Amino acid sequence: MLHWIGRRLLSSIVTLFAITTITFVLARVIPSDPAAVYIGPLARPAEIARVTKQLGLDRSVPVQYLAYMRDLFKGDWGSSLATKEPVLGGIMHRLPATLELILSAMTIAVLVGVPLGVLAARMTGRPIDVVVRIGSVVGISMPIFWLGLLMQAFLSGKLGLVPPTSRLDLTTSVLNPIPHHTGFNLIDAAIAGRWATLGDAAKHLVLPALTLAAYPTGLVARMTRASMLDVLNQDYIRTARTFGLRERRILWQLALRNAFAPTLTVIGLSFAYLLTGTFFVELVYDWPGIGQFATNALLNVDYPVIMGITLFGAIGFLSINLVVDLLQARLDPRVRLR
Amino acid sequence: MRGRFRFGLSVVILTAALAAATAGWTASGERHASLQLLRVSSTAAVTTWDPIASFSTEVFYMANVYEPLIWATQTRKGKTTFTPGLASTWSHNGDSTRWTFHLRKGVTFHNGDPVTSADVKASIEAAADHGGASFIWSALKSVVTPDASTVIINASAPARIDLVASSEYDAWIVCKSALEAAAKDSKYWASGRECGTGPYMLKSYTAGTQVVLAGYQKYWRGLKGHFQNVVVQITPEAITQQQMLTSGQIDLAFYPPSENLKKLVASGKFTKTVAPTSETYVAFFNTTRAPLDNKTVRQALSWAMPYANIVKVGAYGLGTQSRGPVPKGIFPWSKTTPQYHQNLAKARKLLARAGHQGGKFTLNLTYAAENQAEARFAPLIKDAFKKVGVKVNLKAILFNQQWAQAKADPTKAQDIFLLLYWPTYSDAGADNLWSLFHSSKKPFFNLSYWKSETYDKLVDDGAAITGSNEAAAQSKYNQAMRMLYNEAPGAYLFDARVALLVPKGLTARGVMNINYPFVAFFYNVKKKG
Repeated sequence: MLHWIGRRLLSSIVTLFAITTITFVLARVIPSDPAAVYIGPLARPAEIARVTKQLGLDRSVPVQYLAYMRDLFKGDWGSSLATKEPVLGGIMHRLPATLELILSAMTIAVLVGVPLGVLAARMTGRPIDVVVRIGSVVGISMPIFWLGLLMQAFLSGKLGLVPPTSRLDLTTSVLNPIPHHTGFNLIDAAIAGRWATLGDAAKHLVLPALTLAAYPTGLVARMTRASMLDVLNQDYIRTARTFGLRERRILWQLALRNAFAPTLTVIGLSFAYLLTGTFFVELVYDWPGIGQFATNALLNVDYPVIMGITLFGAIGFLSINLVVDLLQARLDPRVRLR
Repeated sequence: MRGRFRFGLSVVILTAALAAATAGWTASGERHASLQLLRVSSTAAVTTWDPIASFSTEVFYMANVYEPLIWATQTRKGKTTFTPGLASTWSHNGDSTRWTFHLRKGVTFHNGDPVTSADVKASIEAAADHGGASFIWSALKSVVTPDASTVIINASAPARIDLVASSEYDAWIVCKSALEAAAKDSKYWASGRECGTGPYMLKSYTAGTQVVLAGYQKYWRGLKGHFQNVVVQITPEAITQQQMLTSGQIDLAFYPPSENLKKLVASGKFTKTVAPTSETYVAFFNTTRAPLDNKTVRQALSWAMPYANIVKVGAYGLGTQSRGPVPKGIFPWSKTTPQYHQNLAKARKLLARAGHQGGKFTLNLTYAAENQAEARFAPLIKDAFKKVGVKVNLKAILFNQQWAQAKADPTKAQDIFLLLYWPTYSDAGADNLWSLFHSSKKPFFNLSYWKSETYDKLVDDGAAITGSNEAAAQSKYNQAMRMLYNEAPGAYLFDARVALLVPKGLTARGVMNINYPFVAFFYNVKKKG
């Protein structure tokens, strides 16, 4: 197993190296004037020339690449051309907001998707099964930004149930800010015993979390249903029923445990997908996370940030895959790590 | 078992949180029942907190934190005039080469230090040396401080130092101690420091997300009756701003979607305040290659341009057709500068005269994908040109890429480039006329690549005598603008106006000022009654 982990880590490093090189080259190929982004759109040639030198952009591309890689290894991911903040610091600063959103969405996906999948498998061909199957397809296929705008217009604009944007009421965040412990508003408010603020944070989380949860919920429900159908046709399930075990126990303990491995893979992949899926959600809901950072960087051609987020996303994706493979081996003894 | 417990606990916490949310708990309690907090949404990003290097949208905040020696403002007749800032009085000698400013007594910086002539001298010298807009101080010869409250600015030639000293970039007066600290530490301003004299202090900054300003209680004009805190949520999407405004999350939104303004006003919750800006839209014709190297073709296309529809559709009526590249209300705008109006028959005739009977050529037009107004009116140009037989390929790309492509190789660049431009300070002769059409070795903002020695001389002469003889400078500029009309290196589309939605309980007179584009003066937002 250690050998397997070692090989995976090595291949991950090679992948990250390739990604870093490709993004660096692409950043130099696209037509853009980084110095102009840095200093502002009205800057004169003399000022742009000064900044070009200051940023080291007057050096040859290979020299710039070597300097970039050297700094990367030292933990310096460069600075944003638009906001001047360090890229890694900017990512880490926004990470809790994004993670809070993704974890909430994944919690909804698992809490809703798994029971629905089990229920649909138990009642194959009946109306509830049809509803779950159609609902899953809708959740998976509906463009996330469109769903976001619809929910925003209906649940917030029309019904006024929840706020349309942001993480926290502005008055609260300015006049009565939550003490910072983890960066997760829900947890920090709970630690501080600020229940009204906890409610406000949760209220702001509802729309983006539901929107982001649509895709993984559909996927989890479909995968759970398919795996459960396979398992429920197995001999040992029939034997259990013959022995008079209660249906609830058969479904939730015997069948689901064995059917969960493929679902776990889907959950892992969905988690990784949400790292980028959150871009649109954060844009629609003005959620101050990595997605918003990335969107602004793309619009400004702020290539140090684009490269940093690409690298960070790749690290996240590879790590999640590794963890999922390990968990799968733990859950299902038939899976061997080779 | 522990795993199950943890899972159960997380479910309980999440459920409790969601239950609390749906139960309608509010954390904010009272909204802005008092003048405690003004909640604003804006697209204005912060590229730097360095008041000297600043040359971008952070001016939205800077103008509330810093003050210049004098402020530029506009008379009812649309002329630029000046009001005291940190200088209470000022004067200049006969040929405008020596400007004397007398500083207001009793003004302090946010760190408590009094404002002295040494601070002014240090600020101006820093701006002239390494400011983002250092070129505005190109006429600066020396700054002399005979005493603590007098500053003399000597110019190398007659110059309108009043225009320069009231610029929205590189005219802010910063405390000398901060400038000295910044000179030693290049990252001094990075953490969101400031040392100004304005009505608001920078309380906190969350990069790319939020700016919080706190009222400066020792502000020389006083803070009674004004908002004590301002929070600005940086929101790039106009539609998101609208959602925040209608849901009551914010009090003021800058640049909400123009298409929804009528609907929002009809809701009865807001009043619309429209203010002129110094922003102007220009369509550059690439004069380096056929067929746009032919003046008659350019004139034909200028006649084919659907100006009225561009204002109506592109700006939702928030604009007026330009008279040349100088926006109305900014020197040296002139009502004598002629305008083209859409006349398709005339356009066809001119095309035929230029050897392009029935058009039959194709042009590539690029515009900034992120500019919603350009995205709306670019198709109108395509449709109008089609009527005279000219096919237009539209290409929406990010401004930075569009600009980089246009500057790389003019002979391979676009045929038509749409640009939104605004002057750095209230002298569009030295700025717009020079920047947009003066020839240069390498293209910069002159993306028509048009070159004319006669034009260059008129603009250079105008700039040189603005300080000593404004009327003569105006005359030179008028000739230059007439040349731009005749030669048509670009089509001058419209001067934009900006709409601000103000909730019924607030007034916002003086929040916008044509001389300070992209700035909102929060000090002037007040409660009604």
